[in-house]
Amino acid sequence: MKFSKNQYLFILTLILGAYYLVIGIYLNHLGYYNQESIFYIEKTKIVFEGLGNRIKVMGLTSPLLPFYNTFIFSWINPYLAPVIASAIGTAVLFYIIASTLTKRIEDDFYLYVLLLLFFLHPGLLYTACSGKSIYMVLTFFFLFFFNLLKFYRSNTTFHVSLASICLVILIFCDYKFIWLTLFFVPLVLAITVQSLNLGEKESIFRLFLSFNSPSLRRKLINKTFAIYVILFILPLASVISYKLLNLTHANDLNYFIESPYATWNVLVDKLNFDIATTSANYQLPELSIMVSLRVIYFCPLILVAIYLFRESTYQALTILTPFAFIEFLHIKYDKVFLNYEYYLIFLILSLLCLVFKAQTVKRQMVFKVILSVVILIQLYTGYIFLSQSLITDEKRFITTLTTRKPNTDQEETMELADVINSLPKTSRVLMDDAVSYPIAAFTHDIQKLTLPYQDLFLSAIETPYRYNDYILIATAKNPFTGYTQLNNRYIPLIKVVNSGVNYQRVYETDNWILYRIVSTQ
Amino acid sequence: MSISIPELLVNDGFITPADQEKIKLFSERSGMSYTKIALNFGYISRKNYERSLTNAGFTFAPVREEAFDTEILKKIDLKFANDHIALPLRIENNKVVTLMSDPSNQLFIEFIRFTYDLEPHIIVARDLDITWLTHKLLGEKYVKASVFELLRRDPDSSASTTFTSPQLVTIFILISIIAIGLVLNFKNTSIIINVIVSLFFLIAIIFKLFLALIGSRFELHQAVTKTDVRNIMEDSLPVYTILLPVYKEDKLIKKLIWNLQSLDYPREQLDIKLLIEEDDDKTLQAVQNLDFPGVFEVIVVPFHMPKTKPKACNYGLHFSKGKYLTIYDAEDIPDTDQLKKVVALFAKLPQNYICIQSALNYFNRNENFLTRMFTLEYSYWFDYMLPGLDTLDIPIPLGGTSNHFKMDALIELGAWDPFNVTEDADLGVRAYAKGYKISIINSTTYEEANNEPINWIRQRSRWIKGYMQTYLVHMRNPAALVKKIGWRGFWGFNFFIGGTSATFLAYPLLLFIFISYLIFDFSTIRSLFPDWVLFMAIFNLMVGNILMIYINMMAVFKRRYFELILFAIANPVYWLMHSAAAYMGLYQLIVNPFYWEKTNHGLSKVNNPTNVIK
Repeated sequence: MKFSKNQYLFILTLILGAYYLVIGIYLNHLGYYNQESIFYIEKTKIVFEGLGNRIKVMGLTSPLLPFYNTFIFSWINPYLAPVIASAIGTAVLFYIIASTLTKRIEDDFYLYVLLLLFFLHPGLLYTACSGKSIYMVLTFFFLFFFNLLKFYRSNTTFHVSLASICLVILIFCDYKFIWLTLFFVPLVLAITVQSLNLGEKESIFRLFLSFNSPSLRRKLINKTFAIYVILFILPLASVISYKLLNLTHANDLNYFIESPYATWNVLVDKLNFDIATTSANYQLPELSIMVSLRVIYFCPLILVAIYLFRESTYQALTILTPFAFIEFLHIKYDKVFLNYEYYLIFLILSLLCLVFKAQTVKRQMVFKVILSVVILIQLYTGYIFLSQSLITDEKRFITTLTTRKPNTDQEETMELADVINSLPKTSRVLMDDAVSYPIAAFTHDIQKLTLPYQDLFLSAIETPYRYNDYILIATAKNPFTGYTQLNNRYIPLIKVVNSGVNYQRVYETDNWILYRIVSTQ
Repeated sequence: MSISIPELLVNDGFITPADQEKIKLFSERSGMSYTKIALNFGYISRKNYERSLTNAGFTFAPVREEAFDTEILKKIDLKFANDHIALPLRIENNKVVTLMSDPSNQLFIEFIRFTYDLEPHIIVARDLDITWLTHKLLGEKYVKASVFELLRRDPDSSASTTFTSPQLVTIFILISIIAIGLVLNFKNTSIIINVIVSLFFLIAIIFKLFLALIGSRFELHQAVTKTDVRNIMEDSLPVYTILLPVYKEDKLIKKLIWNLQSLDYPREQLDIKLLIEEDDDKTLQAVQNLDFPGVFEVIVVPFHMPKTKPKACNYGLHFSKGKYLTIYDAEDIPDTDQLKKVVALFAKLPQNYICIQSALNYFNRNENFLTRMFTLEYSYWFDYMLPGLDTLDIPIPLGGTSNHFKMDALIELGAWDPFNVTEDADLGVRAYAKGYKISIINSTTYEEANNEPINWIRQRSRWIKGYMQTYLVHMRNPAALVKKIGWRGFWGFNFFIGGTSATFLAYPLLLFIFISYLIFDFSTIRSLFPDWVLFMAIFNLMVGNILMIYINMMAVFKRRYFELILFAIANPVYWLMHSAAAYMGLYQLIVNPFYWEKTNHGLSKVNNPTNVIK
């Protein structure tokens, strides 16, 4: 039986998917979880098993699309769902890139390079096996730029509208990508100038020509505006609609990006930064001018990519846009480290450039040698970036993978969840999942918990003895203690309100205390 | 008076000797008389013809009220009389009183002598008057066939019965179930209805986006390239029939001739029929008064109910000679190379492709808000949806004009249903049901967008009523339909033909509920939307509206009508107009199903330059 190239690719994708799944499940068994995947697990449980205003959780949990993707696999195993989603998602990303590659380039060398990267690059392994949403970001980042570059060639609505749809999905995978549009504003003008039917080849002269002829000027303005609309109206309208939904359902336009109930990274990013910048062995955070250099260090392939597009100014500018984007992110979110994801987009972008232009290089042999060396360097830098990351989730991933020793990060939360699981079925536990979502995620019966998504939560906070039997309190040591009302100041406060109720410590860890409510009246 | 009219016309300088020769040769080939060709193939205007004959001493008699003898009429065939523009009426003074536009037509004179064994008494009359009388007196058989042929051959496909008994029973059972449900448990029944409507909208939105994306993929695909058109040998082109059904379109006749003359197709291979209703004197007069030669043959459609466009087309079909056939409206401006492109595409396609639909768009798109919205809609429909349907092999609801048929297949299908007011959409489905296929071509016909709201609603109500009719006809036996067009076709048909009307009927109700909820914050409304239904409804409202607007934007972007892009945002208002039309259509479906709501054309003040394709 002879397989076609597509069938081979499909088989390779299946193998890759299985490989990722094995690693992901293995790491999961070693106890590796990250905040994002735990957050998804908890929210999925609420949506499927919770009692209360689930629509808010369903619609306003952010990032929305990775959350839904996790949803799909939660029927297999809710705890493995994020890992399954990311493993399959990354394998799909491989298939998309590989099938695009094989359609354009006959030489199998480039496919091997791609395979090598997907099998061994620590960053891609992190993407696939961590259960985070990076796989979706990378997929739609790739598709966005892919369609944009195709639009440059074909000038068709199909590609520009697909690019726009991909941008929308990208934004709903990671809201920060909305800022990418900012850097496309000047670029669109360049694209329009390029697409006008003019004799002049040089961009600046094309611009000069189009501005000095009334009819061309009108055409230029109309077309530029039309491209803006066709490219950006969908993301803009989607974001506005989504913000309005946030306003109507949560009384806050930015609920989905600013509330710890809606997204996982509000507190986690803050904590990572605070710990890193205040710890005894102070580590120098990323410096503004260094970010682009760090990218080049992480992914030298991007230099090759820019070289490949050197002949077309606006296409090269398109490749450079993500640099401006991450520099901007670094300035805008100055109290947050740049996640590994933002470095990985350059790896994907350079692969895209290879797909588009590798076959145009005349000296293929030299090019392949350079490419091989660069790829090997990247495998190394990929590892270095993870192992020296200032972000706990990233560092833990690579240490768990390389040492293959059990990860104890979630031991405490699992311990507490076990205690809650052992409580009688009718017991009700008041907790604030802004900070305690890992415990809620590991609790088998989410209906035991009184959580903020429920309407009765506010009443329960005021009069816990009426609604609950237990309260979970964050201790003073808990790094998130300042972000929840249920902290060590809560019990004395509530005692003042009703002195007829006693609170008895049932279980205590470093970060948490479980109180039982004992009514003395 | 023994002068030959052809000689007279040459002597008077109205026809050159070279053209004279061409006409004679064409006459021998086609069987049409010299005068018929001279007047209908652009050689001489009717005014000049009349002038020439009057100068030669002939007088043109008004003949419409002439007495006739049915026994005499029985002996002549309508087609023969039509080809010679002559008609024997009665016997008087031992002579056959015969109307003739060319009193020197020896062939016809011989026919009279041979058939009636008498000499003719010739009354010279205008060709259009003779045509009018000929069709009125001899056309009954043909007009009856035009009305009842489909009903006789394939009664299940005819819309002459709007609701069949099982359909009525089903509708009433459904209404009863809903009513009982609402009485017994208002909340749950409302939720169930809500879920069904929301699900339907959700699927429809996703389906439409999917279709649009599939359609837009073929943006660069050219079914026929310029080279294909250039490679066509003019001599090998077949006779092409163009049917032009008109009613009270006197203002458009001049434009029509100009557009037809611009078509890049050999004149003698064009068989153009202007189908004028018997009572439409205005249009007939406009043709008579033309200052320049006409390029079409007038066919007068005798009076018979229902007075619809498909009936006129069916009638015209009896006189059509082409291998291929298309329909244009009077105001249409097809791309000049459209017919050649169609011939080239038919040659490329497999035999089972029997119809090719051209894209329709508007020349007066920037005239006002309505024409802009109409252009947005048509750009999306013809550039994205139909190619999408074509790719997925789902029945294509044909557009009103510019659908090009293989004549033999069209006749085999039973032609158009005269009882259906969107006969084109119906024919598309019928073709699929018989295993035939329809293709889309990269050629556009520019029409006049309706620029007047009431006129627009009337036109749209007819379309939506026709969609309802078509839906009812083909859903008489859903199982049989699935068997004929497969599940994909079945669902495509349901979402497209049935869904379109249903969406527009439901839209204002949903909007009303939404606005009431926003303004009055009715808690009852909230209770009708359980969490996940609310989620779906919000998704439909937000994503659905955004996507539908966006698809419209894509379509005009493709057409490079950049100035229209922002108007797509006004679509929700435009859809309300659709809803008004849908309710009007529904009302008419019940009380007056075959009534043809006439669209007034020629209201546009925009000049319409011919779309010359070089």
